[in-house]
Amino acid sequence: MKRHSVVRVAAIVAATFLAAGTLTACSAGASDDGGAKTLRVTLANHVWTDTIKSKLPEFEAATGLTVELSQYGEDQLSDQYNVKLNAGTDEIDVMMYRPLQEGKLFAKNGYLADLSDDVEANADWDWSDFQSGPVESTTYDGNVVGVPIITEQEVLYYRKDLLAKAGLEVPTTMEELEAAAKAIKEQNPGVAGFVARTGKSAAVTQFSSFLYSFGGDFIDEDGNSAIASPEAKEAYAFYGGLIRDYGPENVSTDMSWPEAMAIFTQGQAGLYTEADSLYKNATDPETSKVSDTVGFAPMPAGPGGSVAYNVPSWALGINAESAYSAEAWSFIEWATSAKLTLEVQQDGVPGARQSVWEDPEGTSTYPADLAAAIATSTKNGVGHDRPRVIKVPEAREIVGDPIVIAITGGDSDAAADAASDAFQGILDDE
Amino acid sequence: MTTTLPARPVIETPRPVPTAPRRRKPRAYKIFRVVALTLTVLLFIAPLVWMFIASLKTNVDIYDASKTVFFTPTLDNYDNVLSRNNYFGFIFNSFWVALLSTLFSLLIGVPAAYAMSRFAMHRSALVVLMARIIPGVSLLVPWYFIFANMRMVGGFGVLILSHMFVALPLIVYIMISYFDSTPLELEEQAQVDGLTHIGAFLRITLPLSVPGLATAGILSFIFSWNNFMFALVLSGANTKTLPVAIFNFVSYASIDWGSLMAAAVVVTVPIMVIALFTQKYIVSGLTAGATKG
Repeated sequence: MKRHSVVRVAAIVAATFLAAGTLTACSAGASDDGGAKTLRVTLANHVWTDTIKSKLPEFEAATGLTVELSQYGEDQLSDQYNVKLNAGTDEIDVMMYRPLQEGKLFAKNGYLADLSDDVEANADWDWSDFQSGPVESTTYDGNVVGVPIITEQEVLYYRKDLLAKAGLEVPTTMEELEAAAKAIKEQNPGVAGFVARTGKSAAVTQFSSFLYSFGGDFIDEDGNSAIASPEAKEAYAFYGGLIRDYGPENVSTDMSWPEAMAIFTQGQAGLYTEADSLYKNATDPETSKVSDTVGFAPMPAGPGGSVAYNVPSWALGINAESAYSAEAWSFIEWATSAKLTLEVQQDGVPGARQSVWEDPEGTSTYPADLAAAIATSTKNGVGHDRPRVIKVPEAREIVGDPIVIAITGGDSDAAADAASDAFQGILDDE
Repeated sequence: MTTTLPARPVIETPRPVPTAPRRRKPRAYKIFRVVALTLTVLLFIAPLVWMFIASLKTNVDIYDASKTVFFTPTLDNYDNVLSRNNYFGFIFNSFWVALLSTLFSLLIGVPAAYAMSRFAMHRSALVVLMARIIPGVSLLVPWYFIFANMRMVGGFGVLILSHMFVALPLIVYIMISYFDSTPLELEEQAQVDGLTHIGAFLRITLPLSVPGLATAGILSFIFSWNNFMFALVLSGANTKTLPVAIFNFVSYASIDWGSLMAAAVVVTVPIMVIALFTQKYIVSGLTAGATKG
């Protein structure tokens, strides 16, 4: 008797679930028919996204569109794009992407719609207001494929108290940087003079400003590898040497920004070169123990001057397969308007509009020394912080190798020669 | 078995032991066992303890080595995860997908396993196993393509189907070995007494297989609960599961470690509770049929 009922109940439950499951499967697909059009926007987790998200109702009210927002971490976002765009999806309309990491690949594969006409259409929106370095990175084969929204420059983070204790001015040249790192390390047991990213791939972007300041670059004018040039070798040896000689004890060669920033914000390093977009990690007492003594300065000058990168870390593009490209463009136009760019920038996200930087309001929430340092970087900054190729992840692994060799005390010149050959192989393939 | 353990410095005894030397061995063994067990447990539990402790710290304290053990605990992270970021929604999504994919897999997989076991369908079993051999990531693009064209991406249906794809072979294989070990004579007896083939399966074999069903069900539930890759691509804004939602705390220019750890606790605790209460089934189910021969 008992078993009988067990079986019967199980069958009924199973049937119910089957029916319910089929229903959910069917209803889940319904999307944009009926009523308002739905615009699907895919964004990265970022302060920029938080601010835009809070303003979305304004956009929806003004246009009558419904915005469906998906948000992911940067690596998850990349995975999404690689799978979905490869399958020719039309379920993404507006996409936030990294022009330097993926822009060339996406544009070459035809994932990104040509926006050349859209950007010129509205004089009030003013395309010419966008800084030329970032714009260059969102242009492919003469066609505009993205609108830069967030820019990034490398600056020097330093501890005012430690420099004052050593009786030193803020370093303005590479020699002064080294001397300051040495003095801080000697005077403060347990505190590193200098810290920066050490991971093979992660360090490449922050090493790039050293490379430029020593007069080098990843690729020369003829499109060949330039990382075995005397300037590049000098830069590798200098960057690695700073960390080896004046860096933290037993330094890991796998640090990206979260690890390096943690060392700095815990008060265990005096000088730190890093992207300015991370400055809130250092100035916010919630995450930093040195929030009241942190200062900012432009990249110290090397033999080639003080040349930092000035890059668009993120841009907005439109999926070439999107059925709503006009609506998608209206979203981009709204999100990148001068008014919103100003608001986002005041929340701590450096934008790409020149007028906002020139507006005192635009830097009112920034530490004054940081605003000045950024201004220097934007003036003569280089528009890329990693090799501009299609296979960026592979290229970063290669050009980053001599950095790690230099940090561990190996022969970085030989490593640079070897890396250059491998890098040339990637360039020849493309 | 009878080899003498070398004398260990651990068992230093201040005065001569009054008991006979024969009892020494078990005692040394006991101490060794306690030490080994403690070390092993510590090793396995340390990351979990660290995760839990970190979830009660502020972001600046997490990095502070001097506050590893002593710190002022805060519940802000949990508040952030559960109320401000609405993790109950993600918990429901994970639970719903795991439950349904497990139930459907059992519904299809158990009869299939029964047939494969009783009729020795080894080749069919091998085909089912193929699903586990092919790396899931290579299926993602074609799946996405098919499901996107069916307008199913972003719904629960597609998540359940994709999780079933991995759960089914697991269930089929566990159940095949389980059915192999249940005596055929019982079913024959039932048939002699007037039951049909299916009747014998439903009323005799199935009730006897509850431990196996529990094992297969729990393992498939755990798999689905933890699955990240399929959910990442196939879920939508409203159907995100917990492992995907956890990444909400990793931003481009900031990582909220405290909330990340709190969210990790939220993901881990339910599955740990389930595993704790059902582990006797898992163990007995896994070894079922192991000594058949």
